[in-house]
Amino acid sequence: MEFLSSLISMPWLDYSISGLVIGSIYALMAVGLALIFGVANLINFAHGAVFTVGAYIGWTCLVGLGLPLGVTIVAVAAVSGGVGALIEWLAIRPLNRQSRIAPLLATIGVALMLDQIIHIVFSPTPRALPANIPDWRIAVGNGTIGAIDITIFATAVISAAALYAFLFRTKLGMAVRATAQDDDAAKQMGVNINAVNMTVFGIAGALGGIAGLLVGLYYNSIDPNASFQMMLKGMVAIVIGGMANVPGAIGGGLILGLIESWGIGLFGASYRNLFAFVLLLVMLLFRPNGIFARGKERAAEPMTGTFVTQTKAITLPRPLIWVLIGVAVILPMANMPYITQVMTNAYLYGLAALALTLVSGTVGLVSIGHAALVAIGAYASALLTTKGLPVSLGIVIGGAAAALIGTALAYPAFRLRGHYVAIGTLALGEIVALVILNWEGVTNGALGVFAIPPLEIFGLPLYGTKASYWFVLALMLGMAGLQVRLLKSHLGRTWKAIREDTVAAETYGVSSNYYKGLAFGFAGFTAGIAGAVTAHQWSFINYDSFNLLFSVLILTMAILGGLGNVSGAILGAILVAALPEMFRTLAEYRMLFYGAALVILIRFRPQGLLGSG
Amino acid sequence: MAEPILTATGITRRFGGITAVDGVDLHVAEGEFLSVIGPNGAGKTTLFNLISGQDRMDGGKVTLEGRDITNLSPHKMAEIGVARTFQHGRVFGNLTVMDNVLIGCHVRMKAARSTVPVIGPVLELGKALIQPKAVREEEEAMREEARAIIATFGERLTPRTDNPTYTLSYANRRRVEIARALALHPRILILDEPTAGMNESETAEMQEIIAGLKAEGRTILLIEHKLNMVMQLSDRVMAMDDGKVISHGTPSEVRHDPKVIEAYLGHSSIGGARPAARDNAEPQEVITAGPTQGRIGRTGGAEA
Amino acid sequence: MSLFRERAALSRRAFGRIALAAMVTTAAGAHADSPPAPVFIGVSGPVTGPHAQYGAQWKQGFDLALAKINANGGIDGRPLAYVFEDSQNDPRQTIAIAQKFIADPKIAVEVGDFSSTSSMAASPLYQRGGLVQFGFTNSHPDFTRTGDYMWSNNVPQSEEQPLVARHVVEDLGMQKIAVMYLNTDWGKTSKDLFTAAATDLGAEIVAEEAYLGDEKDFRATLVRVRDAAPDGIMLVSYYNDAALIVRQLRDLGMEQTVFAAGANSPEFVELAGEAGNGVHTAMNFAPMSPRPMVQDFVAAFEAEYGSAPSHFSAMAYDTFNLLAAVMRQYGTGRDDIRDGLGQISGLESVIFPEVSFDPETRRISNPSVTELVVMDGGYVPYSGAGQ
Repeated sequence: MEFLSSLISMPWLDYSISGLVIGSIYALMAVGLALIFGVANLINFAHGAVFTVGAYIGWTCLVGLGLPLGVTIVAVAAVSGGVGALIEWLAIRPLNRQSRIAPLLATIGVALMLDQIIHIVFSPTPRALPANIPDWRIAVGNGTIGAIDITIFATAVISAAALYAFLFRTKLGMAVRATAQDDDAAKQMGVNINAVNMTVFGIAGALGGIAGLLVGLYYNSIDPNASFQMMLKGMVAIVIGGMANVPGAIGGGLILGLIESWGIGLFGASYRNLFAFVLLLVMLLFRPNGIFARGKERAAEPMTGTFVTQTKAITLPRPLIWVLIGVAVILPMANMPYITQVMTNAYLYGLAALALTLVSGTVGLVSIGHAALVAIGAYASALLTTKGLPVSLGIVIGGAAAALIGTALAYPAFRLRGHYVAIGTLALGEIVALVILNWEGVTNGALGVFAIPPLEIFGLPLYGTKASYWFVLALMLGMAGLQVRLLKSHLGRTWKAIREDTVAAETYGVSSNYYKGLAFGFAGFTAGIAGAVTAHQWSFINYDSFNLLFSVLILTMAILGGLGNVSGAILGAILVAALPEMFRTLAEYRMLFYGAALVILIRFRPQGLLGSG
Repeated sequence: MAEPILTATGITRRFGGITAVDGVDLHVAEGEFLSVIGPNGAGKTTLFNLISGQDRMDGGKVTLEGRDITNLSPHKMAEIGVARTFQHGRVFGNLTVMDNVLIGCHVRMKAARSTVPVIGPVLELGKALIQPKAVREEEEAMREEARAIIATFGERLTPRTDNPTYTLSYANRRRVEIARALALHPRILILDEPTAGMNESETAEMQEIIAGLKAEGRTILLIEHKLNMVMQLSDRVMAMDDGKVISHGTPSEVRHDPKVIEAYLGHSSIGGARPAARDNAEPQEVITAGPTQGRIGRTGGAEA
Repeated sequence: MSLFRERAALSRRAFGRIALAAMVTTAAGAHADSPPAPVFIGVSGPVTGPHAQYGAQWKQGFDLALAKINANGGIDGRPLAYVFEDSQNDPRQTIAIAQKFIADPKIAVEVGDFSSTSSMAASPLYQRGGLVQFGFTNSHPDFTRTGDYMWSNNVPQSEEQPLVARHVVEDLGMQKIAVMYLNTDWGKTSKDLFTAAATDLGAEIVAEEAYLGDEKDFRATLVRVRDAAPDGIMLVSYYNDAALIVRQLRDLGMEQTVFAAGANSPEFVELAGEAGNGVHTAMNFAPMSPRPMVQDFVAAFEAEYGSAPSHFSAMAYDTFNLLAAVMRQYGTGRDDIRDGLGQISGLESVIFPEVSFDPETRRISNPSVTELVVMDGGYVPYSGAGQ
């Protein structure tokens, strides 16, 4: 009843105004993402970093050089447009004919590098970006609207109009549209695809940079860590508007802003991202073409091709595998607990990467929400064992819980494909984290779970550095062995058939949802025990222990090793966990080198180091 | 005429304002060879998609041996013995020839058919992990059978049994598709332009294989543009245009039907004379996920 | 929750410096001839990643403290030095660093990490390894509970919040309070303790609004707050959130008195601009305190870095001085330091006029707070009603 009365008495106008203002910022982000998705068929994870570049160029011009706002906007557009074009030229173009996962990973690497450069050049501290915009405000409803709100809204509208004019009134714009429709046909008609792609990345970059500047002015604060959140919101906006639909992206941004704002009005700010991601899931499941699509019919989904390249995987010779296992087993004897710990971490990552490579590589459901499975396993075991359940049982139950809950949550997403799966699972991952944060009665909310009992098996303590190393190694090798066995059985070919061509597989009697469920279940179990073991090792976890970054890292490992490749996942995990440790000597430059290493690896081994399995 | 094994009545499918298939009736008897011909866009593939469950019909009814199978999902269709090949060939590129054919065996594998409801999935995983004797023997038997099926394509496929199919020539991939369909032990075999994109000698080879299948007494539905082949193989021929059946009868009856000749002339393209049927423009194969569709949704393009 | 948390940075001063493996800072010059082996403190903290700003602030405080300690003879003639390992505030890396420090016999004591997520994951290792983990930014109520090697001079919120509540209710006269808090262990704990104390003092809590760490737009939340009709607003926020909230609050035409926990950092003043004026805050560290020790620190800091010290820099400075005092008095063995921490008393620091630990909770006893008001781009001490 209280809810109903608040629904009626809510100051809708005030919430709507605040929603439209934040929505126009989302819209500016979304326009660039939609353009790039339309032309390059790619979710540009570096778009958020370009946003941040724009903010800092703006700061340099306005505060550092004291330039007027007009000049600043032009400079921001030029520099961030240039950065966008450079991304296309350096990271995307060389991967032109590769499986589509390769450029995706390249954009992640570029984003790491750009953010890092900004950290180094401008320091990680948030800065003030005072606007020299007249400080008048007019009262609307019970609040006020100022010049800056109108500037942001107007910039969004003007950018959209300019873009529209470009797309429909210029020759290059026509080439862009032609390429978006069918790049092969456009190429045959003499369109220079490379020029079109570069133009689009440039325009998107300029728009993203301007968005960064405006947001900085709006909040009087720029922050090198803001990029990814903004990119996510832009992504939700383009899903709402229709992935490659540019005007739709603007509408999507505004709708997202409004819904968030109303949602906060009804439930509070701690749920803001929950609304965004639930909305995203609902859209994906029921209106995958966006809210502005006319027909109800589902058009062809954008990513029907497989993420996996057609190359032969490298099979490690058996003797080599045994030698490597032997080395791994005797490693702790060297008595270097730091190395032992780093490798234990790597194997825990390895377990999660095994799970992901099964789902994303073998079955083709690219998941960016895998941390959720790990978190479910960790929380299930942590909560039960702190209430007295034996640890060994807790780990198994953690695995089972991740398998069951994870599969049930992901089930609706099984009908999605390609990028849509990736976005859908990303949303699921965020939703799980937010539920953990907000469901205080069960999860202890923000305080996390403390005093989780240490690792032990049937009373045998395993918390020593070496013991836990061997335990985790055995677990990883065991699960890898089981996975290899599954891949050799009828399930292996059945899963790959679904990945290669779901329709043909269904036609031959393969119930794809059922087999996707089996894969998710097994992978969920692996990921769940990885989470449970981690929880017992750390003794403390909270909602942020397994965050989106963790999901992205695991995906990076799986791609780097070769999607679907069991030994590749382990190799990828060891590399990704060990590389930053090796770059430790580089101090603040280490993540820059890590990003560059990713971009270079994917450039020369787009199918992964060991090839896709 | 023998009792029909498959009967379709009044099949209708509309795409927006266009009626792609308009009240088509069709029946095939056990061991019969029925071909469907017609110009591009006549609705042949759509019709086959509806019969084999890839697409849902707006009206009509399909029965197989008296059982209503209207709008059954594709994997259920496969379970009751409807096997089809695709117009453009849809083999699983990263799977070997052997694995492709084994997918055809999927519906017959006991290891994949757990009858226990709730713990069925766990049982299937468990069997795959433990590989008990029964499972191993079944797998080996299937492999044996798959090898035999592959052998019917002679030197074309046998040496390539363990190669991934993306390394195969187009013609060989079409052969793999047929081998995969045969592995299903189909009650009805539906072939959608099995010789599309093949040269003359390849076509002749394929025709020989299909003739062999017919000789084994299989029930076959065929879409084909190469009229010579249709005339030589078919027991009966159905001609379609604009979603409707325009002629129906023995090969020679249909061939000489003025309506058929006019339909082809009107479309200025007689089957067999045109190059590879790869850029066919009719609503293709499967609406949910055709790989040939543009990336940008029909309604959500940058031009919206 | 923001993704690319694994990113690096350092202070702008450090930009251009040659990156060294571990940033080993030794007090060269103090003992030029046949230098005795230094005593090492192992620091685990964020040098790169989204929390890198805090690591940079720590480092300023550490360096300043070392210069002073080593100029005064170090630890019984041995120079004090530190090894700063970058954890990116990531628990996976803090546990690896813990192994490194525990196994390295030259490390006498460990300091850090930044958040409870990353620090507490390493606590069992430090406890079993017998190395003191001194978490000077760890406010999580359970941080010191892992074992007797976990110590913290971070003011326990259970002590601080009642003081804040008294100030807010009695001095500032808030009777209907709206609380906005960061939904983290620190924010949640502080909020709960504050609301309990304020309610005991007779005030009414009319709204409690949680928000997430990377939130930027608070307008919708503020509409909720406004409609609860509070006569005062309490922010349990970091300085950047506090600045954003205060600006947006004034834009919405809300004129209530604001107390902001995070407004005690110089960056708040810059980020909040005009809107920051008149915002109340409290600080354990009071840069305008007349105590000579504080004034010396502030002057030295400004001379070295050209800016006012932040709370984190002051904490870092205090921590090294405290550990140096413990080592001088009780020895540099790992267990000597653990035992010494429980015994030391009467030590003056820039934050606390007198430091001593409760050996049971291993936290600071009887801390005090200084109440401040933001005024014209700086801070002035709160001096009664009318401000």
